Amino acid sequence: MRQFWIQFSGNLLNGMILGSVYGLMTMGLSLIFSVLKIVNVGHGAFMMIGAYVAFWMFHLLGLPPILSIFIALAVGMTLGYCFFQLVIRRLTAAAELTTLLATFAIGILLEESARFLWGPDYRGFSWNVGRIMLPPIAIIPLGKIYALISSIIVAVSLYIWFKKGRSGSAIRAVMEDREGATVCGINVDGIYALSFSVGIGLTVASGNLLTLFVPVGINPYMGGVYTLKAFVIAVLGGLSSPWGAFFAGFLFGLIENGSYTLFGLVPGIEPFSMTQFFAFFLLLMILLWKPTGLLGAK
Amino acid sequence: MALLQLNGVTKRFGGLLAVDHVSLEIHSDEAVSIVGPNGSGKTTLFNLISGVYTPDEGTLIFDGRDITRLPPYRRAHLGIGRTFQIPRPFGTLTVRENVAIGAMFGSLGAQKRVDDALKAADERLKLVGFYEQRNRPARELTPVEMKMMEIARALAMNPKLLLLDESMAGMPPKEIDTLVTFLKSIKQKEGIAVIAMVEHIMRAVVNFAERVIVLYQGKKMLEAPTAEALSDPRVVDVYLGRESEQ
Amino acid sequence: MNRLEKFYPLFPVYFLYGALFLFGQYTKGMWQAVALAAFYAALGQAFNVFLGMTGYVDFGYVAFMALGAYGMALTVSGLYAVTWLGGGMILVGLLAAAVFSGCLSVAVGAIALRLRGAYFAIATVGVNEGFRFLLEGIKLWGGSEGIVISSKLREAFGTDGASAISTFWADVFVFLIAAFAAFLTLQYMRSRIGYALAALRADEDAAQVIGVNTTKYKIIAFITSSALGGLIGATAWTLKLTYVFPAEAFAIHYTVEAIVIVILGGAGTLMGPVAGGILYAALKYGLGVTFPGLQLLILAPVIIAIIVVVPEGVIGVLKAKVRGTALEKFIV
Repeated sequence: MRQFWIQFSGNLLNGMILGSVYGLMTMGLSLIFSVLKIVNVGHGAFMMIGAYVAFWMFHLLGLPPILSIFIALAVGMTLGYCFFQLVIRRLTAAAELTTLLATFAIGILLEESARFLWGPDYRGFSWNVGRIMLPPIAIIPLGKIYALISSIIVAVSLYIWFKKGRSGSAIRAVMEDREGATVCGINVDGIYALSFSVGIGLTVASGNLLTLFVPVGINPYMGGVYTLKAFVIAVLGGLSSPWGAFFAGFLFGLIENGSYTLFGLVPGIEPFSMTQFFAFFLLLMILLWKPTGLLGAK
Repeated sequence: MALLQLNGVTKRFGGLLAVDHVSLEIHSDEAVSIVGPNGSGKTTLFNLISGVYTPDEGTLIFDGRDITRLPPYRRAHLGIGRTFQIPRPFGTLTVRENVAIGAMFGSLGAQKRVDDALKAADERLKLVGFYEQRNRPARELTPVEMKMMEIARALAMNPKLLLLDESMAGMPPKEIDTLVTFLKSIKQKEGIAVIAMVEHIMRAVVNFAERVIVLYQGKKMLEAPTAEALSDPRVVDVYLGRESEQ
Repeated sequence: MNRLEKFYPLFPVYFLYGALFLFGQYTKGMWQAVALAAFYAALGQAFNVFLGMTGYVDFGYVAFMALGAYGMALTVSGLYAVTWLGGGMILVGLLAAAVFSGCLSVAVGAIALRLRGAYFAIATVGVNEGFRFLLEGIKLWGGSEGIVISSKLREAFGTDGASAISTFWADVFVFLIAAFAAFLTLQYMRSRIGYALAALRADEDAAQVIGVNTTKYKIIAFITSSALGGLIGATAWTLKLTYVFPAEAFAIHYTVEAIVIVILGGAGTLMGPVAGGILYAALKYGLGVTFPGLQLLILAPVIIAIIVVVPEGVIGVLKAKVRGTALEKFIV
């Protein structure tokens, strides 16, 4: 029995650490929604790009993910900016349906491009830098700790930028009241471009950090599950609140690993599948009870 | 008994108190006007009555029933019809089809068959004088034309209470007079119990309303017969004083 | 409008279907291509009932097709030994398919349809994956191994009969479903249901205020669209391929294709999905020949371009062109 609790606590701890990356990716999603009112259905595909950045930087240049994250951020922001100018900008007046479909198609485009460029085979790498011992609960690879620290640093930086920075405050203003912001002389279009770019940048960066937890199985279609997870977390933490989303990420990591362990105890069922199902079930239940998310406003 | 009764109705948006414990009554054969400067809560009040918003406090009673938690479409069925300050036509449909939607869904005794609804729509459009435009796509109308269409659509709902939200904004004086005369005759002939207007335009208010309710900063400041209300110094202050400040 | 005029919009649709069928029958080697076109047209029409008429996107749509496929597969597995049923077993299977997908749509709809726009889309993203993981997780209906019915079909109908079903009759059923979907769509469009849906699509809040019970009509469209999808899954997959595997049945690319077809042809129109389906099949076939494996890569930017530049689709453009002419009554 004690053995179970030890293992369980270890899983929960791992889950929470992974949750930091979940939180980071969902911040991207949340930022885009709260400023542009667009749901990025192609979210997972951008995570995939981040994972490939990590892979190629390691494979070609020996850069570990905590360093290639800067490249991932840059790549993400560039991609975000390009897509914004080419597609999103022209759709601000269109119906919601249209932007949903557009982001969906962008996701498809990324997946197919990845497959075209890099093939459908699974890629992986390993970056072994030692472990932290927390007997008897867990042995945690140092890479994961680095990921946790990186996520927190990025999240805190963003927070400071929003609070203190000029453009960051402008973004906050547009988030709360678009028309009011225009009256104050804020260039709303520019803020849209910036928010979208940063949002995508965060998403790609988190895909990069993800490889510290899942360094194998990198393939063009890996993103789909993360889209679902991001939606659940966003709904948990409030779609309109990037900070809520970050904390909800930790919570989700806990729930995910916890439920995996618990499902593993039940004979005759397949725990991985059931955990994914549970995530979706959780999503529907939350939406049923509090449609704007547990921490959501409005 | 009053047709519509509001008791202490309150609505907040974040920190803003848009409607502040408003109580009022409207009776079946009245012509009432709700006035007040911008931001006084008039449209929010309409939204509360028609069900777009639910109040944070207070109750609404319509025709003897508590409608406080009822969804908008149920209130429409009970007999509340309205137009919108910024017109909301069903853009992809024609004028005729727009009005027909009102006839098809707007009341419990609505026209179930599409053909009957279209005929009813034609009648309403003729009444409002908009019949020739019936086949134009609604999104191609000018704002003033959209308001006319909305009136026809609201009438097609066979309402007991008709809420008109700034329906005369942008109209030249002659058209305003025509509309006011039209509304008065509607009120009598059709048995539409009440027409409550929310207007900036004093010309319309003076000619149409028997009673005026003045809102200011979300509170009901006063209500009185028209002439009395509009010459009350507090009202003059709030309106003209405000305007001369701007 | 006189009696016959009401059905004018179906003329070009049925004409296309008829021409397609004859082309497939009498041109050597083209039947599979034609069957594919019919599949896409049917898929487009079924999907359009919800997407086109309400403006809501159901990203988990393929789950309903999968459920229909399972409905048919389970029926055949259960009833193949009941000889007096004969061909009636297929009809029972179709009924089961519609019921299965209908039930799932009621369950999903009860929650998801209370949500607006973006939240609805989010809720549906997970339906497909969620249900598939449930099946695999609790090892229901064969779990990840699925159900194979080829031997049971042979037992029930003989080798020749079973072969005829998978190579011909399954596709005929798809044509029939497509034709039925067209008829149903037109009926909806012309009726109270169609008006309610058009109103809520244009402005959901205003529609509510004017008295439309928007949730009720969204549910009607949702269940209809899902049941039709189930029928397609039952015929184009189970009967034709004689198996159901969850990895294939829940493959999200069918939802992608459905979206492409409806957007390409024109969402909310009657002819749109038909034109879109046939065009898409032709494109896929053609691209598959010249650029194998790259179809989606080429199509993705095409979709984006269409969304940005011509969101009303091929038929949408055509409709605008024939407005005011006699053809107006035929292109709907």
